[in-house]
Amino acid sequence: MEKREFAFLLSKEKTMLRHKGFKSVDDLRNFLQSVAPSDVYYSSAYFERPEEEMDAKGWLGADLIFDIDADHIPTPCDKQHDLWTCKSCGASGHGIKPEKCPRCGGQKFTDLVWLCDTCLESAKEETTKLINVLDEDFGFSIKELTLAFSGHRGYHVHVESEAIRTLDSMARKEIVDYMAGIGLEPSLYGFEKGSNPSLEDSGWRGRIAKGTYEFLLTTAQEQLENVGLKKKIARAIIQQKETILESWKKNGPWKILKRVDSEGWEEIIRQAIRSQSVKIDTVVTTDVHRLIRLANTLHGETGLLKIEVPANEIERFDPLKSAEAFRHGTIDIHASYAPQFRLGDSTYGPYKNQRVELPTAAAMLLLCKGVANIPEDASNVR
Amino acid sequence: MANYPFTPQAAEHVQKLDLKITELDNPEYSRIVERARKRIEEAILSAVVTEQTRNDEIEILSFPIALIIVTAAKDPSLKRRYALAEAKRAYNILKQENKQKLTEVAKIFGWKIKQAKTSTAIPQTATADFTVHFTDYLRNTGNFRESKWKLINRNMFKGEVYLKKDEAARLLSEEVRGHVEEKLETKIELTLPQTVAKEVERLRQLFVSQKGKIRQEEMPTETVIDAFPPCIRQLYSMAPNGRHISHIGRFALTSFLINSGMPIENVIEVFRPTSDFSEKMTRYQVEHIAGGRGSRTKYIPPRCDTLRTHGICPGMDEICRKVRHPLGYYRRKLRTIKAQTSAPTAAAGGK
Repeated sequence: MEKREFAFLLSKEKTMLRHKGFKSVDDLRNFLQSVAPSDVYYSSAYFERPEEEMDAKGWLGADLIFDIDADHIPTPCDKQHDLWTCKSCGASGHGIKPEKCPRCGGQKFTDLVWLCDTCLESAKEETTKLINVLDEDFGFSIKELTLAFSGHRGYHVHVESEAIRTLDSMARKEIVDYMAGIGLEPSLYGFEKGSNPSLEDSGWRGRIAKGTYEFLLTTAQEQLENVGLKKKIARAIIQQKETILESWKKNGPWKILKRVDSEGWEEIIRQAIRSQSVKIDTVVTTDVHRLIRLANTLHGETGLLKIEVPANEIERFDPLKSAEAFRHGTIDIHASYAPQFRLGDSTYGPYKNQRVELPTAAAMLLLCKGVANIPEDASNVR
Repeated sequence: MANYPFTPQAAEHVQKLDLKITELDNPEYSRIVERARKRIEEAILSAVVTEQTRNDEIEILSFPIALIIVTAAKDPSLKRRYALAEAKRAYNILKQENKQKLTEVAKIFGWKIKQAKTSTAIPQTATADFTVHFTDYLRNTGNFRESKWKLINRNMFKGEVYLKKDEAARLLSEEVRGHVEEKLETKIELTLPQTVAKEVERLRQLFVSQKGKIRQEEMPTETVIDAFPPCIRQLYSMAPNGRHISHIGRFALTSFLINSGMPIENVIEVFRPTSDFSEKMTRYQVEHIAGGRGSRTKYIPPRCDTLRTHGICPGMDEICRKVRHPLGYYRRKLRTIKAQTSAPTAAAGGK
């Protein structure tokens, strides 16, 4: 702990207070009580002198960290709950913000990102994939991994192990590429060289096979064409589904799909890699000086807790229930906008310019998101 | 031990002999100094150390003496070249060794290495000779550019990367290179005896003249946009349209422009149309990257594969395949452009 840097976002001033060090948990607790920041961060890195300026800190190493955020994952909800507003003309719309405003061509937006079960479920799936690779391929034991819901739209995974502590940014970049499927050469896994991947294989060899399996058997003809496969190849794949399914019991479909040329296979494998890759934030993992939110503190944009989850319990984990920090009372607020959302066991909204009395956690979420305020005549807090 | 003069065992042996640096011009050491000179000379001329005398004692002792001479020459690129040459020598020896010996040498460097057992989960391991822990692997592959060395293209299971013997030898020689480079960084002020000091000067001269032959032409003073690699061209065209550029994209573009010789004022102008432009902030950052602030380091752009990881690379062209750094691309392309225009006097300013 005494080798970490701590940083705090001060609620009122909206400024970051950095380069703080603490000798003990008590010191940190006292500090938090007197300053009451909106967000608390600590460094993934260990320093000789955490309170010095960056250049003088004396970097000793850093945990290996992964950030999985719905922002980086294409989700089935298509982020329809997000709202962007053009800064120049005020036009607004739902979903992922456009590059240019469709009305005035402006490029500055304010955006409101929301969190929904679909986003969080996608993030959870990616996290499960990540843990699987860390365990199977990299050989980390579950007890070396710390997993946490970030308090917003994703999960953080930390590897605290002596073995990886001094890896530099370049080495971590290779780990990122491994996770994200970047730079993979199927031929080096024997593809088209006589020893084609099979479903039982481990590592990326097995993943190529699994991804190909899913892709060939679950994709409709139109989608096959959409990813760049020629019409007759796409048709052949659809017609031979039975044969393909059967083929996995032996040597796989690699040689039986005669109409698929090597370009076609390349495309299929690219899709396979895409589906099997883990969607992580590449910058976070390669940054050896990263500040990350401290577990069991509030996320300033949601009022939810960053909360640790045992890696083997992630399946059953419900972030919108477990991360609730304020479990008592209600607050009377005026909500300007909110899509329908769930928190705990209840669903709220949608709201538009209305006064509503909500349980504290739900009200805090809207207040933190900046889409609600407390009316002057409200008799809060009950 | 003569084969591996860089090991702690060899160093210990040297220490026992209690060799005094001040006595190096004593005739009884002349053969050792001579062998040290040969080591460096071959490194300078052929980037490898191949010769070997039959006398083990001379082999072992000449290595630390060579280190002293190279350190005293105070030329960082000579240090790199010598380390590379010794590493190549180690590779040539290591690849001939049996598995047992190779394992022993790797363990000296703290590697977690094992002789591979065939795993049914990974059919290709049938041809592998060793497994090393992925951290040992990553620490030594940073300079390798062939895609077969990328971690994602290796068979890895439970943290163990599978290697053939030749690959293990190559990886281990990279460890040797790092180790020798580290030794050459030791800061010691020595008063060398006259004859040795003369040798230092002579070898330094030899290296300078050799380097003169291989040095590429200087960067031009004017930035030539036509020679930009695809990634930089894209970033450069995004800025005037006011498109948002990611943090790492800005860094790549800025550091590239600065290294291509563009003046700071012009670099700042490039960013003026971006959607969230702030002159004060931009100036601060550009000056920082140019080495004008804080740490005073002038930054260079990230390597190609880093840009690829962060989604900056828009796809490779012909030249991209031959380089691994955007500035390498730029230098190469400049040469072709120059050759095409082939004006006898490089037109001042160009375009």
